[in-house]
Amino acid sequence: MLILTRKLGESIAIGDDIKITFLDIKGKQLRIGIEAPKNVSVHRNEIYQAIQEQNLQAAESDIQISSVWERLTEK
Amino acid sequence: MNRKLGVRTVKLETTRFGEIDIKESELIVMKGPILGFEHLSRFVLLIHNNNTPLWWLQSVEDPSIAFVVINPRIIRPDYNPAIFEEDLESVDIKNSNDIALLAIVTVRSQPFRVTANIRAPILINAETRMARQVVLDDPDYPIQYDVLDHKADVNESLSETGGVWTEWASRLAPQAVV
Repeated sequence: MLILTRKLGESIAIGDDIKITFLDIKGKQLRIGIEAPKNVSVHRNEIYQAIQEQNLQAAESDIQISSVWERLTEK
Repeated sequence: MNRKLGVRTVKLETTRFGEIDIKESELIVMKGPILGFEHLSRFVLLIHNNNTPLWWLQSVEDPSIAFVVINPRIIRPDYNPAIFEEDLESVDIKNSNDIALLAIVTVRSQPFRVTANIRAPILINAETRMARQVVLDDPDYPIQYDVLDHKADVNESLSETGGVWTEWASRLAPQAVV
């Protein structure tokens, strides 16, 4: 891992078209700004991983749609 | 492959449903991945023969991969998320009437639990069928929305047919029945 020290307001460039700017720091919270092309998805990593994990679980659902639907619509 | 009224039909091999016929015009092309399934870019929607609003999103490239999906408004009637402009642009949506959203459903059998990921729905351009999984910036919409806890909403949605068969749903409604 490359480790850099930056001051507030300074940036780092990744490749030609991604720029990360360090905007503010309060205690342990860091505010950063990310400029990236529209085709690059930017997510908080824990959200990204949770969604990936959920998708994998969903793909393993082994189900009978009709019985699931019955359970969902029973009063 | 056969030609009928100018619409090309192709055979699709699936693990769950065997061989099925699909129209090429019904293919859904991913412009951004279903996270964890970056290698899969083409899907098709399948409907179940008992006509429930639970549809299948079947991979064309991997016969064993199929997700259960549902219109999130059926399980959460007030569902109206703000979608990032970038996400809309990436599937070329210019008109809000073309916004279609489907939530991926996870079913666990023991104990029986059904959740829908309404935080990261599949956004589909109902006109061109370009799609991507989008991540909403709204913690009010969870990754595991418990559907059984909201059965009353489901029943209410079903009693108002408009809630289920929104305009885009009838445009995207699968022809292929399994």
